[in-house]
Amino acid sequence: MGSSTPLPSGERISRWRWLWILPRLAFVLFVGGVALLLWTSDRTDKEERRATLISDILWLEQNLRFHLTRNEELLGRIDRPHTANAAAFESFARTVIGFESGLRQLIWLDPDGTVLLAHPITMDPSLVGDAEEAIPSRQSFHLARSLGKPVYSKPYPYFTNDWQFEVHVPVSREGRIVGVTVGVYRIRDLLSDSVPWWLAERYRISVIGDSGKVLGSRSKVESAVTEEGYQVGFDPPGWGLALHAVPYHAPRPLASVVLSASLVILALIVLWSLWILRRHVLRRQAVEEQLRQEHAFRKAMEDSLDTGMRARNMEGEIIYVNPAFCRMVGFSAAELIGRRPPMPYWADDHLDETRNIHDRILAGEGPDEGFELKLKRGNGEVIDVLIHEAPLIDAHGQQSGWMGSMVDITERKLAEERARQQQERLQSTARLVAMGEMASSIAHEMNQPLAAISSYCTGAANLLRNQAPATDVVPALDKAVDQAQRAGKVIRRIYSLARHSENRFERVHLGAHIDAALSLMEVDIRQKGIRVTLDLAPQTVVDGDPVLIEQALFNLLRNAVESMRDTVPDQRQILIALSCTAGYVVLTVADRGCGIDAKVADKLFDPLFTTKAEGMGMGLAICRSVVENHRGRLSFEANAGGGTVFRILLPMAPE
Amino acid sequence: MSATTTHIVDDDPAVRDALQWLLRSRGVASQTWVSASEFLSFAAGDLCGCVLLDVRMPGMSGIELFDRLRSLHCRLPVIFLTGHGDVPMAVQALKDGAFDFIEKPYDDNALVDKVLAAIAHDLKRSARDDSILSVRQKLEQLTQREQEIMQLILAGKLNKVIADELGIAMRTVEVHRSRIFEKMQVRSAVELSQVLGLLGGRPEG
Repeated sequence: MGSSTPLPSGERISRWRWLWILPRLAFVLFVGGVALLLWTSDRTDKEERRATLISDILWLEQNLRFHLTRNEELLGRIDRPHTANAAAFESFARTVIGFESGLRQLIWLDPDGTVLLAHPITMDPSLVGDAEEAIPSRQSFHLARSLGKPVYSKPYPYFTNDWQFEVHVPVSREGRIVGVTVGVYRIRDLLSDSVPWWLAERYRISVIGDSGKVLGSRSKVESAVTEEGYQVGFDPPGWGLALHAVPYHAPRPLASVVLSASLVILALIVLWSLWILRRHVLRRQAVEEQLRQEHAFRKAMEDSLDTGMRARNMEGEIIYVNPAFCRMVGFSAAELIGRRPPMPYWADDHLDETRNIHDRILAGEGPDEGFELKLKRGNGEVIDVLIHEAPLIDAHGQQSGWMGSMVDITERKLAEERARQQQERLQSTARLVAMGEMASSIAHEMNQPLAAISSYCTGAANLLRNQAPATDVVPALDKAVDQAQRAGKVIRRIYSLARHSENRFERVHLGAHIDAALSLMEVDIRQKGIRVTLDLAPQTVVDGDPVLIEQALFNLLRNAVESMRDTVPDQRQILIALSCTAGYVVLTVADRGCGIDAKVADKLFDPLFTTKAEGMGMGLAICRSVVENHRGRLSFEANAGGGTVFRILLPMAPE
Repeated sequence: MSATTTHIVDDDPAVRDALQWLLRSRGVASQTWVSASEFLSFAAGDLCGCVLLDVRMPGMSGIELFDRLRSLHCRLPVIFLTGHGDVPMAVQALKDGAFDFIEKPYDDNALVDKVLAAIAHDLKRSARDDSILSVRQKLEQLTQREQEIMQLILAGKLNKVIADELGIAMRTVEVHRSRIFEKMQVRSAVELSQVLGLLGGRPEG
């Protein structure tokens, strides 16, 4: 497990930041694009309107010029009958003015500039003429008369709000100026007459004097103007007059408004969703970070454990191992995960046993208290482990496999084994010492009478050599006999010590005692990997001392086990057979050990004779003593195919 | 003092009796002791003969008895009788000055030979002890002044030199000298030094 190493948090955050740049950038681009689009469309709109404005005002200017020119022509066509009397002039004037000409007044002047006729009649002579310097009539008149062409006067104010200007049209007949027709234009009226309604709807049209003053305009009072207008020269009448048009504020088209509004709303929605998303992601990141930390903590915990952990699924396949487990078995996690039995770390010598335990665990019959097992490390080393298995319960409360903890107890086992061997050596040494002590004491006890006998006899011999009388020698010989008898008593006492158990005979079931002796040797047998085969006939009962019989069996078994020290492990086996023949129970213990050398065969049962480095040489001697004490026989022979067979014959107990 | 006795110390009456019988068969006088402590109460410096000592005895062991005898200045030669396994102990005793040890079972006449050898050894020692004793007794008869002058004579000084050193008349030195020779029963300074040599250079012993 643990194949993905978590990123360091700094790197992670920077990656996230980079991820966040994209939507933000996209959003900014979107808003910018929309803004640009709106701005462009607005500009196009404005330019379009301006172009319209320009063409409109040019059209208007042309229209006005045409108007004024036509009026000039009309005024120049005044004839004698028209000026004959006031009534005729009036009808002529009405015709001209009524033609939507923008004219307010017609005045007929004689070549001297005297007002002859006027319509409407003006009472104020200052209206025409030069009563006030402000009115440039006289100047225009002279100019017109001298040029013989229509001349326009400078605009001048009329009352307070209005401005007027005049056109002086000289009238000639037969090459002689006969008079001058003066047309008075009031600027406001001119505009209202000659600006069409549709134009007035769209623009505020005004006439501006050379000083920038508005001389008259046609406008809707309620509408405010927003943009700058456009102006063209107004000539005729000239004099620096200009036509100025300002478009009224036009309502934006509904589609554009809807479009803009929807774009803004869309942008807001995007912004809002982005924010929601970001908040969600941040919360998720926080949870992820928490999980990652928890995972890291758990992993650190698992990694720092000394106990090996291993999880298997219900099929026995390894799904998880921790580093301690890998260290113990010497395989990497990658080599182990996904493996099915037999596992690479199962010891070859214990394959059957291991598989048996494995199957029992999968069947749910594994030992609760844990079990010990031998495993093989990757380098072939064999280790002892203590394993506890427990069901692996998943998040849904279902068992999904088995979790095992493993502790390496090789050292402990070794220490135990060393302690056991130490103990054994100690006991054997103690037995040796006790034996030596006993032997020494027996030797002393035997030495005393023997030494005395020897001394008496030597003394007697000395005397006899010196021809001493028999009476001197006899007492010494009598004493020597006494000492010989004393020695005999010592021997009898020792002998009776060995026989002291005869009165404890009882019914002995040999089978049970074979088991007991085996259990005493169990540790050695298991450790050396010896297979023990039993072939026991039932109902094998003898009369005897159970303790001594068990001791004899134990000695034979121990010899068998120790004789196979140098036998290759898979050859190590002991066959114990128990049968009955002709009133005797026959027990054979056959090993595959080193066998018995013919040179030592006849000394084999002698006390204190041993072939083992630490042996006392009592084992077989005791065996024979015990067997003979039970009126039986102990013998041995070479085992066909290597090793030795020891055979004990004991009389069967009477029914 | 002239009679030598072999002391048999063994807890076993049969062995004691048999050994006594054996020794008697070769004409060696012996005395038996049941235990080490019994012999110890009897033992003294002027005994002559030897001791046959069993190593293994109840109560005080043979080795222990041997040590005690040494501390009592009893110079009797000791022959240990050892059983199986006691040999290293006996060898140690030999190093500490025991005469010999013999391992059971033993050749009895060889044992008697060893006893005789020990007795002979002890007789020699005893004789030397006697002469030393007599020299000591003679030395004790000398006055302080005579002893002083004797040391100077042994150093090989002439009468004149001795007189000068002690500030006495040469005549007086001559008188002392003749008295010293008389008391020590010697005729010359050379003989005097030979007699004193028995003490092994330890005249004050």
